[in-house]
Amino acid sequence: MLKYLFSKEDDIPQGTAAIFFGISSIAWFVIGTGLGSFNAAKLAFPDLFHGLYSLQFGHMRQVHVHAVIFGWIAMAFAASMMYITPALGNTKLWSEKLGVWNCLLYNVGLCLALALLWSGVTSGREYSDHIWPIDLYIAFVMVVPWSLNVWMTIVNRRTQGIYTTNWFFAGCMFMTIIVFLIGNTPEWLHLTGLNEAYMTWWFAHNILGLLITPVAAAITYYIVPKITGNPLYSHRVGHLHFWSIVVFYSTPAAHHLMSSPLPEWLKSFASVEGVLILVPAVAYVCNILLTMQGRWALFVENIEIKFTITGVLLAIPLNMQGGFQQTRAINWYIHGTGWIVAHAHLALLGFSTFAEAASVYYGMQVLLRRKLWSASLANFHFWMLLIGFSLYWTSMTISGLIQGAAKIYEVPYVDVVIAEHPYMIVRWLGGTMVFFGNIIWLYNMIMTARAGDPVPVGRQPAEIAYTR
Amino acid sequence: MGWTFNNPLFSLTTDDQNKEAKHTWEHESLGGIAENNNPLPRPVIGLLLLTFATAIAITFPLYGQRPTAAIYLDYVSLMNSTMVQEVMNDRTITHDAANQKAMALIEDSLAHFDSKYTFQRAQHPIDLDQLRVIGPAIIELQRAGVDLEEYSVIGPNVVKSNFFNIQPDGTVIAKQPWWDKGYQISFWYFIGFCLAVIITVKRLPHFSWRPDHTIAH
Amino acid sequence: MAFREYRIGCWMFGFALSLSMFVTIILPGLDISSMSSTKIALEKQLTYGWETGFNYYDPFLQGKDKPVKVVLTKDPMTGKAIDKTDAFVFPAGTHFPSGLTHDGILGDDVQKASEELGKIGQADEAQGGVFLVRSTADDVPYIEFATATKGWTADATLKAADEKLLAGSGKTMFVREGCWWCHTLLPEQTQDWQSFGRPPLVGDFNGESPTTFGSDRKAPDLLHVGSRNSSREWMVMHFFNPRLVQPHSIMPRYDYLWGDVDADGNAVDLPGWDEKYLAYARGESIYPPAVPMPAADSEARKLIDFVINLK
Repeated sequence: MLKYLFSKEDDIPQGTAAIFFGISSIAWFVIGTGLGSFNAAKLAFPDLFHGLYSLQFGHMRQVHVHAVIFGWIAMAFAASMMYITPALGNTKLWSEKLGVWNCLLYNVGLCLALALLWSGVTSGREYSDHIWPIDLYIAFVMVVPWSLNVWMTIVNRRTQGIYTTNWFFAGCMFMTIIVFLIGNTPEWLHLTGLNEAYMTWWFAHNILGLLITPVAAAITYYIVPKITGNPLYSHRVGHLHFWSIVVFYSTPAAHHLMSSPLPEWLKSFASVEGVLILVPAVAYVCNILLTMQGRWALFVENIEIKFTITGVLLAIPLNMQGGFQQTRAINWYIHGTGWIVAHAHLALLGFSTFAEAASVYYGMQVLLRRKLWSASLANFHFWMLLIGFSLYWTSMTISGLIQGAAKIYEVPYVDVVIAEHPYMIVRWLGGTMVFFGNIIWLYNMIMTARAGDPVPVGRQPAEIAYTR
Repeated sequence: MGWTFNNPLFSLTTDDQNKEAKHTWEHESLGGIAENNNPLPRPVIGLLLLTFATAIAITFPLYGQRPTAAIYLDYVSLMNSTMVQEVMNDRTITHDAANQKAMALIEDSLAHFDSKYTFQRAQHPIDLDQLRVIGPAIIELQRAGVDLEEYSVIGPNVVKSNFFNIQPDGTVIAKQPWWDKGYQISFWYFIGFCLAVIITVKRLPHFSWRPDHTIAH
Repeated sequence: MAFREYRIGCWMFGFALSLSMFVTIILPGLDISSMSSTKIALEKQLTYGWETGFNYYDPFLQGKDKPVKVVLTKDPMTGKAIDKTDAFVFPAGTHFPSGLTHDGILGDDVQKASEELGKIGQADEAQGGVFLVRSTADDVPYIEFATATKGWTADATLKAADEKLLAGSGKTMFVREGCWWCHTLLPEQTQDWQSFGRPPLVGDFNGESPTTFGSDRKAPDLLHVGSRNSSREWMVMHFFNPRLVQPHSIMPRYDYLWGDVDADGNAVDLPGWDEKYLAYARGESIYPPAVPMPAADSEARKLIDFVINLK
């Protein structure tokens, strides 16, 4: 990597930035899920790692969250954008050199940010935990150069049109920067009180809603038509999806604070808008599944489609939960319980991760021009992820329902802790499976880079997946 | 924008624009990907309409909330009337039987009057023992001249509700809202969205036109 | 916008996003900012000071730059007995909370009363001073700058205090140690009034930053924990090793917050304590080892003060 930092732009092979981002994202995925598994162990057995004072739960929880969001998910997005955007514009990435520097500074910044969180230097705001100097770094050193690369690649495209995926990439990067700068106003402007609490959740909601969900969806808009060879089912449904994301997903921030004394009208507005998130969800799922027409065999045969379509199918329960759990009618029961934790993992580990894993699998094969080293290990990774996630989701949902019931029947809290104990163990097991699956993936990817069979020019990796 | 007013939903574009759009559509390959021009399937349109109806219906603020003190005021006044008190203090029958008889009397009397609380009373039934407990608090609040709708019954307590409808002048009304500024904004917001998307989508070539993807590849 | 008309698309995108931000930021911001502080908000501001998360004056979250809450039963200057009073002492140089430095935080009535009756205009961060929370005859709460109105100085007030609560520094510990990942500070409006007490009202947060509501409750809500349990001894044992008082607790041990020496000046020997505790757990001794009392300037003491102060 280092030799490319100071090379001339023309000497850097196309796809270098995407490959570096891809490998980094997998490494961060291993670290992030490892931390998750470690934290989960402490929730089941609090004295298990007693003596490791530097790894206290209260310090490590946010490190897990930010390692998976900024390390795995965001870097997998960066990797995907750096190869999908140019591919869709029949052009090169605007600047590979910028991409390589971006990747380096991204990793350095992330290490610094996580180290600070780890040592307890935090703003004390969920999801915007980073202190404001780090926020500035994230915005202007990590995100702006990345966005610039994406935008300029789209501007310099050699097609008249911009495909749906690239609308999302360009729009979401813009919205992410806006959300980052405005969502951190509690820190820039020292907002206090309910304004601070509300803006904290405005940030948290919108960074999930305007970056993670739509970009993951945009990736599947590329992967599914590309691998199946079918045209995207409908350009016009793509419009419905894109505009409803911008209009409806950016508004329900207040539904995270339904039990706080925010103005009632704001909660009413947020909960209606929250249900309307089903509009982009329905449009999206329908568009992707109808694109699969006639090629469903690939769901079984092809590893990328297997990941992608599993992610899309997981988006259905995700959005059903998301739409309805935030209404007053349901929120009072499950607010602040493990149910929400399960939901968050359904979004990030279920829907989004499966979509990105597919794109990283595909991108690495295409860019390295090498076939996967082992399809069996890839399948193994898939099932470890899916089973591990299912265990996690089921156990946390059940424990959330227990907690909700205990809340309304005013059960002493320690009884809830006792009742949740078995589910905490299952949660730990599920998380550990995901962690081990990812180690396998990292190994498989390194071996692919080193010893994978070369893909002949003009062929797709998917076409020759089963030829020896 | 060329808008054919006698056929507004089928074409919001001129023939020239449509021709140009079709040409662009068919003549470019976006990284080896093409797009079709299918409409939303009818069932999905139904699903989306259902979603909006559900969104408005399920987010009614009245769901999942505590009973207000106002719905029990009539119960309490009737309980304190001599007629009901006589039944309640009847030593010849058991406490439970007296309770039931008295409650039947109260409910019978209430059935004779129209009340805006009928629905909420059915949602939050109460028995006479609980009424005895909250009765004095409700009477006291009534004497204080406050609006009982701003108070909730929580177990044995009658407490100020936790709703904050901030009025334009800055005062706060603690009533359970059922229709507020947030709903109105949502409503217009949704309609604005629908109009914008309909205009956008209807300006595309009609969905009966299928692009020929063999041209670009 | 028709097929491939990106210029119009960009305008529509900008319009949609701006409208969304207008409805979700400007409109609620106006409403929320128009709410007056309650008495609770005034007390919280004066307890927690300017900013509890990362800031210039306490970059490593050690609990610096924080006021001290004291309980007085005699006038610090004259020594005459007075009713039990909570006073908030800002040693010279401690930064004031936003309510004292910005006009828009307290609300019009509260601001007016604080300036006219409370003389907060005379307060100066460099000099420090003592503040009280009072109410007018019309029940409007206000901040009184006791250094100006009564001549109470910071040093004399600290000296005369019956009890000192380092709750401001304690909140820093609460944020740094991530207590709020499991303990919420927000009893819910619709359900847990009975278990966890009165949910906060709309003006209860003015001037507080961060609010650390918490979102993922894995442990009891703490907003009113000081009213349920104000035993300092219980807190000491519970923070040292939660399993001593609650065998099923999954809370981590916070024994490392004791620092090097305990209240009696003895070294805190955590591995030694653990050994004795394990022997107790195996049934080799009848009583668990005694928990050392935290030193007066230890982080554990600050955190316990914060928790006990949550009334």
